[in-house]
Order: sequence, then C-alpha cells, then structure tokens
Amino acid sequence: MSFNVTEIFEIPIGIGNITVENLLYFAVILIIGVTVARVVSTNVRRALLERLPKNERELLTKLVYYVIILWAFVIALPQLHFDLSGLLVAGGIAGLVIGFASQSVVSNLISGLFLMFEHPIKIGDNINVSDVSGSVEDVRVLSTVIKTYDGLYIRIPNETVFTSNITNYVHNAARRFEYQIGIRYEDDADAAIRIAKEVIATHPFALKSPAPSVFVDNLGDNSVNLTAYIWAPARNWWDVRTDLLWKIKQALEANGIEMPFPQRTLTFADGLEVRTRAAGKNEREE
Amino acid sequence: MMFGRYTGTFHRECGEILVETERVNGLRIYRRRCKGEPFERILVSETGEVIINPVEPVNLPTEITNYLLMEFSPMVIEPGATQTVYLKFPVEIGVFVESAKDMEVLDVFAPGSQKYTLYGSPTSGVIARWYTSAVYPELPPVESFCEGVMELSIHNASHEWVEVSRAVFDSTDMKIFYGDFVAATATMNILSANLAETDFVDAPLRPGMVKSVELYTARKIPVINRGYLMEWGLS
Repeated sequence: MSFNVTEIFEIPIGIGNITVENLLYFAVILIIGVTVARVVSTNVRRALLERLPKNERELLTKLVYYVIILWAFVIALPQLHFDLSGLLVAGGIAGLVIGFASQSVVSNLISGLFLMFEHPIKIGDNINVSDVSGSVEDVRVLSTVIKTYDGLYIRIPNETVFTSNITNYVHNAARRFEYQIGIRYEDDADAAIRIAKEVIATHPFALKSPAPSVFVDNLGDNSVNLTAYIWAPARNWWDVRTDLLWKIKQALEANGIEMPFPQRTLTFADGLEVRTRAAGKNEREE
Repeated sequence: MMFGRYTGTFHRECGEILVETERVNGLRIYRRRCKGEPFERILVSETGEVIINPVEPVNLPTEITNYLLMEFSPMVIEPGATQTVYLKFPVEIGVFVESAKDMEVLDVFAPGSQKYTLYGSPTSGVIARWYTSAVYPELPPVESFCEGVMELSIHNASHEWVEVSRAVFDSTDMKIFYGDFVAATATMNILSANLAETDFVDAPLRPGMVKSVELYTARKIPVINRGYLMEWGLS
C-alpha cells in the first residue's frame, strides 16, 4: 500500500471545504504577519525614541503592530473560504460613519505626525502660534501644549498649529534686538555712540560677531535719536535686552549726556510782551 | 598654586581669589570669593576630597554653549605646510567634591571676563566663547588662573594658500593639564580655504603636568571625542 504525504494536505478538517492545506496556509500567513508586525513595530519604536514621549510612542507602535496583523488576517481569511464581500460592505459603511465622526481627530493626528517630523518647534522653544505666545511644554500626537509667559496652560489642536504661521523665537542660534535712545540736541552724538558701544562690549552675551551697531537714526522733535542693534544668543536675548538698556542710560548720564523731556520752542510773530504782577499794578495806578 | 586635591579644611588665597573650607560649629563650610563675589556651601561630608583645577572655559556667566572660538593674528599658510604656534586661552576654575562613590561639581568661577560670539550664520551657526590671542612662537608667560597656553599645530592639507585667523573647538573634547601653568594641546587640519578640522590632544604639554578633572566627566555626560569641523570659514 503506497502513501503519498501530499494527500494529508487535502484531507478536509470537517468545516465546510477547508482542508489541512488551507489551514496551514492560513497559519503561515498569520505567522508571517505577526513576525513582520513585530519587526516593523520595533523599528518604529526605535525611530520615534527621541521624537515622541513614551506614552504616545507606545500607542503609535501598537497601532502599527495591530494594523499589520489585521492586514495579514484579511489576506489569510480567503484560505478559510470566508466571503469577505459582506465584511467589506459592513466595513465600508462602518468606515464611512467612523470617518465622518473622527474627521478632526484624524486631521489632528496627521498634522501631529507632520509636526513631529518637520520639527518647526521643540519642547522648551519660545514660540508664537495662533496669537498664543509662550514656551512649548509638549508636542503630542493630537495637540500641542503651550505654557504662556503668564503661566497659563493652553492646548492647541495640531491641525491649528500646522496650518498657522509659527514664529519660533529660539530656532536660530542668535537674534537681533534694538534700542531707541534719545539724547539732547546739545549733546555730542559721537560720544554717546562711543559710550553705548563700550557698555555693550562689556556684556558677555552681547555678541562680538555680528558686531553691535549704534548710529544716529533720525533727528526727532525733542531729541537726536540713536538706534542700537545688538545680537545676542537666541535663548538669552531677553536677559541681555533687559540688562543693557539701564546700563547704557547710566553710562550716558555719568558722562553728562541726558535723555531730554518733550519740549517745544514757540515763536510769536509780534513778539511776546511779558508783564509781571507788579508792573501791571503800577500801570493801573498811573 | 591653588590647583590640587584637599582633604579636611584648607585655605588658599591668590590675589583676589580666596578658596577655603573650614569648620564652623561642627559644620564643614566651603567658601570662595572671586572679584568680590562670595559663594558658600555647607559640605555634609567627612571624608570627601575637594578638587580644584582649571576646566573648560564655557561655563560662565551661564552655560550656553560647548564651543570656544580663538581669534589670533592672521597667518597665511602655504599648501602642505605645518606650523606649531602657541596661543593664550581663557581658563575657568572648577571645584569638585569627590567621595569613593561619586564626584560632583561644587563651583565654577573665573577672575577674568567673558565674551561670546556667533560662528557661522544666525540660522545654522553656533554660539561660541570668544577669546583673542597673539600668536607666539614659544611658550608665552600667562596670567595665572586667567589664562592657559595652547599649543596649536596647524597643518594645511589643502592645495591652496590659506589665511587663518581663528580656530573653533568643541570644549567637550578639551583636555587641560596643569603644573606651573595651565596648558592644552590642539590640532587644526585645514582641508580647504573655508574648512578645517580641530581637535584636542590628550597629552600634557610638559612632562609631569596633571590632567584636570573635566566637567563633562564630573557631570556624567557621555561624550564622543570627534573634534569639530569648521565649515564657516577660517578668518
């Protein structure tokens, strides 16, 4: 009696027309799916290690893992002679309903992923987005959390962040700020410029290069207006700005250069006769 | 000389710098005064050693960068030429406390002033501690506790004449040694008119010099020694 091993594969298992071969194929596809899911999810976790917080990283990794397994399951199902058309219709309707319901969620999710890979903002950056200024506390999958300079917690949906103009104040290594300094017309502007430059030079974080620039910008109504452009490290510029202005003012005053008060010189076409009280009284007596 | 290791109480005073530990009512107090500014900490340690040595000059007034930019008199170097020169570099003084199990940074100070600059463009350049020095053919005398001597070996590996007047270093690679003076040894390999590699050499300038404890070691920050690629010009 001869026995062919391949005949084992054609033995029905007793459920419909499913044979051992179908069952094996189903199992093999599922095993491959699980293996691929594990490899891909491990690599996704590794790739997102520096980019996402742990909770969101794990959530995304699990999502990738189960999507791949579901995909393998759908591929494997025909081996069990399972008619997917009914499932597809039901799934299509369910997908439509879920799609409409989760439109904004998906939009925020996709925007969040783009934000994470484009990196226009990082945690700790000082930014302005959607008229909200503050430092970035967290960049999550669905939203970005900002702590305003007043200490308020503000959650902005990622779609809003992604589609808005983002101003990142600390993205570059250095930034420039300026002062307007008014001096009296009788003061020596050259001396004022020299003194201001000397004060700026003593500050460690007023950068040597690009060099600071101080010049007479315009002749105002009440003062000769100097403008000072100063470069500072982007993360320290506010400290430098608040520190330097008073020092410049003190140094100028120490050298006899003062900030004028608003003043106006009036000229009378027919001259101006000034009468004192005593003079007026005398005139009346006469 | 103030640099070294101290156990128990000690008192060192050099010019306007005072560093000491003393016992006050049973408490061990660390005190430092530099440029009139006092600093004090209570040390809860019976056996811990205090280490004072020169450290990487990028910590004051606050730590904002790892880079040190040395500006010096312009040198025009012919293709293939190698020249060793000496520069003065700024020094900061680090104070560490060490026990059998751990080491911690206690204090960093410097009698000199600091100035920072931008190397490269505002968008992609780096902030660096700025220091200017003359170029010396031999070891120059230096102001103790303010400056050290850097032996810089410059090699022009390009095929063109190159003018060099600055060198940028990553201070995480910096190896500082001290003895009668503070010293470091560095190399600069010029690849083109705008490109050069810089690195520090882990060797004392003179035999018998002691290697400084590095801040990055004390802070347990892992560092890969890879030098620095100057890609924003050499002068």
